[in-house]
Amino acid sequence: MPIIEVKHLTKEYDLGTVTSIKDTLRHTLAKIQGKGTWQRERFKALDDVNFTIEEGEVVGIIGHNGAGKSTLLKHLANITKPTSGEVIVNGSIAPLIEVGAGVNPELTGRENIFLNGAILGIPKNIIQSKLDEIIDFSELEQFIDTPVKRYSSGMTVKLGFSIATSMEADILIVDEVLAVGDIAFQRKCLTRMENMINKQGRTVLIVGHNVRQLERICSRMILLKHGQVIFDGAPAEATKLFLDETTLAQLDGVRKTNNVIKPSIDTNEIEVRAIEVTTNKHIDGTPVCPLFSDFHLQVTLYVPKLIKNVEINIGLHNPEMVFMTKSSTSLLDSPIDLIAGTHTIEMIIDKLSLCPGSYGIGIGIYDRIRRPLWTGNQLIWLLIEASSEFATKLPQGTLAYMPAQWSISDGRNTIIENKNPHQPLKNMEL
Amino acid sequence: MIASPKNLYQYRELIAALAWKNIVVRYKQAYLGLLWAVIKPLMLMLIFTLVKSFVGIETGDIPYPILTFAALMPWIFFQESASEGVNSITANTSLIKKIYFPREVFPLTAMVTKLVELAIGFLILAALMVYYQMLPTVQVLWVPLIIFYTMLVALTISLFGSALNVYYRDVAQALPVLLSLAMYASPVIYPLSLVKTKLLDERAAGEWSETLYTIYNINPLAGIIDSFQKCLLQGIAPDFTALLPGFIATAILLPLSYLFFKRAENWFADII
Repeated sequence: MPIIEVKHLTKEYDLGTVTSIKDTLRHTLAKIQGKGTWQRERFKALDDVNFTIEEGEVVGIIGHNGAGKSTLLKHLANITKPTSGEVIVNGSIAPLIEVGAGVNPELTGRENIFLNGAILGIPKNIIQSKLDEIIDFSELEQFIDTPVKRYSSGMTVKLGFSIATSMEADILIVDEVLAVGDIAFQRKCLTRMENMINKQGRTVLIVGHNVRQLERICSRMILLKHGQVIFDGAPAEATKLFLDETTLAQLDGVRKTNNVIKPSIDTNEIEVRAIEVTTNKHIDGTPVCPLFSDFHLQVTLYVPKLIKNVEINIGLHNPEMVFMTKSSTSLLDSPIDLIAGTHTIEMIIDKLSLCPGSYGIGIGIYDRIRRPLWTGNQLIWLLIEASSEFATKLPQGTLAYMPAQWSISDGRNTIIENKNPHQPLKNMEL
Repeated sequence: MIASPKNLYQYRELIAALAWKNIVVRYKQAYLGLLWAVIKPLMLMLIFTLVKSFVGIETGDIPYPILTFAALMPWIFFQESASEGVNSITANTSLIKKIYFPREVFPLTAMVTKLVELAIGFLILAALMVYYQMLPTVQVLWVPLIIFYTMLVALTISLFGSALNVYYRDVAQALPVLLSLAMYASPVIYPLSLVKTKLLDERAAGEWSETLYTIYNINPLAGIIDSFQKCLLQGIAPDFTALLPGFIATAILLPLSYLFFKRAENWFADII
């Protein structure tokens, strides 16, 4: 029996403000007189959502702002009721919707542990027995008897997370929790979550924007768009779909501005006239490069007057604005002086080894004291595509495929050897 | 409807924790702490005693200060339970929007909080009784029942009011005005015996006297305050003829109020 069943769940909200007593009376009167009912404009936050979740599954729910993620969680946590359809939950739920919802600033950390425990429905004796563990995990030993109003925001969140995850419910619901605290604490939270998932076999639902983090801990992902489930399945695929969509939305934006190159810093001392990826395949005007092919980039510059000792950096970043690689002219042997006029820069990266997906080009041009003359990210976008030969064999959950040579031997003979790092192993006979 | 008290019993720890939070938060940085809870009835008692010395209110053989204090105790308990209860849903918006438990926990918590303050009132009352050399009799055993009844009356108001207040904040604005009017319609400043004498013995309203007396007693607080004074100060059993009209009104209105609350509850998180 599934632990969570969502059937044809639809939720509509009225747009606009709550009606005044006068309006309510007027409409009730109209209704009584049979003049028909009056309705405000409605908004479908969830539109016929269907899925079931089995015990022990870890499901990530992703989607853009306003896709209906939080509304969905609110229904699972029984905070609000569906307009139509139903939600069946066969187990106790620990709602972690925004950690620290019940934290009271006037109370001390210790008092808040007991209060929040009660709010989350944890019996007092269990909280008592777990008190040390909770305090220990929160890293707040020193401040535990200080009112929370004197805590930093990070400390409050740590406290909230520590209390909430000590709850022993069948289903854990987490909303945007992982994006809190410092990096060290985030990692600790992730470990704890993974612990709860793997060792205790709890069912977990997580909503968030950090899809990479979610991809790591989820066994399944549901992608929502405009209140509808548009994908339900493997995390890697859901993540790719989500990120591609993000990029497409951005590409749309780019196209609307007629391919104008938009720098973030422009001192007018240098002008980037064109950026071009040399490839013969395009989709909707976006250049497409095959994985492990050589990457050619051509940048046309115009310089009004001589600039000496220029440094030019060119990089590729993913939709989350993480640079996968950067190349710089400062690594070259001699300094670059740009005389007045038009220049063409040609940059080649051998065997492009980035995970298939969309990437933006970032360029930074600096003078000899590293003052930025012209910089910009997402100047143009390109797609890296794996040929169908590779696509199914590529391992998931990575950002890049560094060239690797393989050799496997059984002590006497070499069974297999692959000196071409960009060709996958064939004839695996182990 | 019947399953719900049992359901609520499961949430007793939550109600206790939330009530404890209310009290701690309210008095934490106050030097006088919980003593503030009794300042209000004490001050009102002094003012009423002062007023009484000008206008003369027939109170029988009970000293006026203690009589009015014994009236103020259930009255203030009711008044504050009701008004805090009505505000309790909107005051806990963040919890309503994030965590589910039965929403009646909030009005109930508001009442439990006031119960603690009422308990402190009893200490003052005991001190006054010692001062006036009054001894409690076995009739004191009625007091818990009277308080329980007061709680039901306060709940009738706060369940309906708090749910309506989610939709129309006018309720929270109007309530203090209505409650302060209701105080004059309740035997707080004057004893019920005065009303009874005027209407039933002196027949001040002619043939309407009996009806008017019954109407007066539809206000459950009339019977409650009178019984409270009788059981504690006079050592006689409650006057059931005074209690009955209010009791019937409560028995009809409380279930309606609760049903309204449960129906409105579904949309709290969306509307609030």
